Amino acid sequence: MGTFKTENPGNQPVWINTSNCKACDICVSVCPSGVLGMVYEVTSTLGAMISINNPEACIGCSECELSCPDFAIYVAEKADYKFAKLTDDSKARQAAIVANNYMSLTEKGVK
Amino acid sequence: MAREEISTGNELCSMAAIDAGAMFFSGYPITPSSEVMHVASDLLPEVGGKFIQMEDEIGGICAALGASMTGVKSYTATSGPGISLKAEQIGLGFIAEIPLVIVNVMRGGPSTGLPTRVSQADIGQAQYPTHGDFASITLCAGSLTECYTQTVRAFNLAEKYMTPVFILLDETIGHMHGKAIIPDLAEVKASIVNRATFDGAPADYKPYDVPMNKPAVLNPMFKGYKYHITGLHHGHEGFPTEDAVQCEFNIERLVGKINTVAAENDGLDDLPDYEEYMLDDAEVCIIAYGSIGLGAYEAVNKLREQGIKAGMFRPILLWPSPAKRLVEIGAKFKDKIFITELNMGQYSKEIERVIKRNDFTTLLKANGRPIAPAEMVAKVKEMM
Amino acid sequence: MAFNYDKYLRVNKMPTLWCWGCGDGVILKATIRAIDKMGWDMNNVCVVSGIGCSGRFSSYIDCNTVHTTHGRTIAYATGIKLANPHINVIVVAGDGDSLAIGGNHTIHGCRRNINLNFILINNFIYGLTNSQISPTTPQGMWCVSAQNGNIDPTFNASNLAIGAGASFVARESMIDPKKLEKILVKSFEHKGFSFVEVLSNCHINLGRKNKMASAMENLNWIDSITVGKKKWDTLPEDEQLNLLPTGVLRQVEQPEYTDMYEEVIKAAQGKRGKITQADFVKKI
Repeated sequence: MGTFKTENPGNQPVWINTSNCKACDICVSVCPSGVLGMVYEVTSTLGAMISINNPEACIGCSECELSCPDFAIYVAEKADYKFAKLTDDSKARQAAIVANNYMSLTEKGVK
Repeated sequence: MAREEISTGNELCSMAAIDAGAMFFSGYPITPSSEVMHVASDLLPEVGGKFIQMEDEIGGICAALGASMTGVKSYTATSGPGISLKAEQIGLGFIAEIPLVIVNVMRGGPSTGLPTRVSQADIGQAQYPTHGDFASITLCAGSLTECYTQTVRAFNLAEKYMTPVFILLDETIGHMHGKAIIPDLAEVKASIVNRATFDGAPADYKPYDVPMNKPAVLNPMFKGYKYHITGLHHGHEGFPTEDAVQCEFNIERLVGKINTVAAENDGLDDLPDYEEYMLDDAEVCIIAYGSIGLGAYEAVNKLREQGIKAGMFRPILLWPSPAKRLVEIGAKFKDKIFITELNMGQYSKEIERVIKRNDFTTLLKANGRPIAPAEMVAKVKEMM
Repeated sequence: MAFNYDKYLRVNKMPTLWCWGCGDGVILKATIRAIDKMGWDMNNVCVVSGIGCSGRFSSYIDCNTVHTTHGRTIAYATGIKLANPHINVIVVAGDGDSLAIGGNHTIHGCRRNINLNFILINNFIYGLTNSQISPTTPQGMWCVSAQNGNIDPTFNASNLAIGAGASFVARESMIDPKKLEKILVKSFEHKGFSFVEVLSNCHINLGRKNKMASAMENLNWIDSITVGKKKWDTLPEDEQLNLLPTGVLRQVEQPEYTDMYEEVIKAAQGKRGKITQADFVKKI
């Protein structure tokens, strides 16, 4: 049974529900600013799990939330949180994450 | 108090449906049942009901089932080929426990067969219209009056047992035009059965959480009781399940809520499940149903004029069959049982199953023509 | 606080039984958000689904839900809507469901212009039965029922709906959930039969043998075959050939079926004369 976490766990820009995540990579791929990445997780069906690595770079676009098929990732309302601006560093990190097969940069991107 | 109507069987059937509370009809044209639809198109909007001619037979039953799911009494009408097309949806009606009255005005088959000619060859189809395990309720009208009264009864049984119910007319009865004595409207209204509802808190509502041999309790939609209806096996709340214990319970309940209940209570309601004509002192029993029953009355009279004490047994509730009475008839009349029907012995097989003998005589016909009383008389004389 | 999905979901049915990355979940979410924008009371919403992966759609939304048989969604929904004209009916079906086995109901739903909100999830394949060709499977792809490659020509579902007379026709893909949500709101607002074709992925059963085995590869392929309608209109014919235009493709005002039926009731009850050709602008 899934549990829902529409409540912000504590002044976060973006938060996740790992019991619903099926590790499809979509949220990672649509993030413009390299906030997200997959990490290896042996107990997950696909061997990976979503991870928030750079919350401070989140611009609050909600693309990850809207694109997630499994109600596993949530973004704060713009009124509730002061989000970052999109920077060249963020864009470069996102490109690197995509090139790393959607894996976090701390992981070797082979699934 | 009774009313007189000069009309046809098909028209009386549709008039009865509306008197019984039907507010929705959907169907597709097919001979010889189309007049049921014509009357629905005329009379339903008069009472604020809805009529729709769908794009095919399948759509015809789907829309009626959809309307019934929301709590609106619905019916559809067709003939054998239409039932064949509707088969899968009838199954959804059985497993999801959706009340629906299905009128089948029987014509010759199989396939396109004999569209304009009489037949009673859909008896077996009415018992097992679709794949899987379930029990069917099937009524068969044997007169113009019964086209009306048995249609009312079909609606009441559908609501009581939460299931599709067949009302069988044959082409002769459906197109027969004449005077019918039908019950007063107030009497019909007083007899109406509506499906049970759950009145507790919506959070506590489990539509399929009912004991063995009891029908589901499906509340009307859009009244605050939000639930799920599916053609998959489902648990108490209506959501899909493959749990073996639950699936076994579901099937035993679907069959038991009709067959077991009928066996224990000697029928499904308080109305007669058969008619007997001069059977008490008879030495030979003619078994006939539908329009063939009309010929059998005359055959009985003619035989008695000629010194042979004949009587007739005419089943009205075909499925589940009036087994208790059939057993008694089997014991009383031994091999002096004469079964006549417009098919190759579909109901004869049921009688054989019930009385566990096949030493009866049959007169079967499947060429689209009725059976004349004289043919019955000749055959009975051969027996005596 | 994020958007409150819990209000609209049967949360104890989560996670969904759909595969990882399945577009069905994205469309479910966009549908819920569009319902929220409309402010509908869920007691007065009915979601009807058919058979296939999309069939499970109805069981996840907390309203009056019906999971029907293969191909018959629109026919069931027509009965539900005609019997209850005041309620909002959403119909969800896949490409096999609504274009192959249920094609007849689809075209007649469009023709009748009954106020149903029809969402066609087109993932170009029979997914639940494991990769057989559907009426939208691209020619030349490999499927289990086209072991030497698919030769069957494809349907353009939205063009079919336009031809059949649907008064609202739109196409969107699930790669852009914001646009999808907006299109769904427009279709919900529209009075009459609204046909929304949502292009979706099945990397499991379409993608695996066609060089797009991950959700992202399948989504990138969908991206490569879609273009906004405005741009599509400007393209030469040979470029249009292999691109599907997205956006609202047709929206016209036409008499809605349950409204017209109210006139039938009035006529039958003697509150107006019989319906004649004079009642219609478009007569043939």
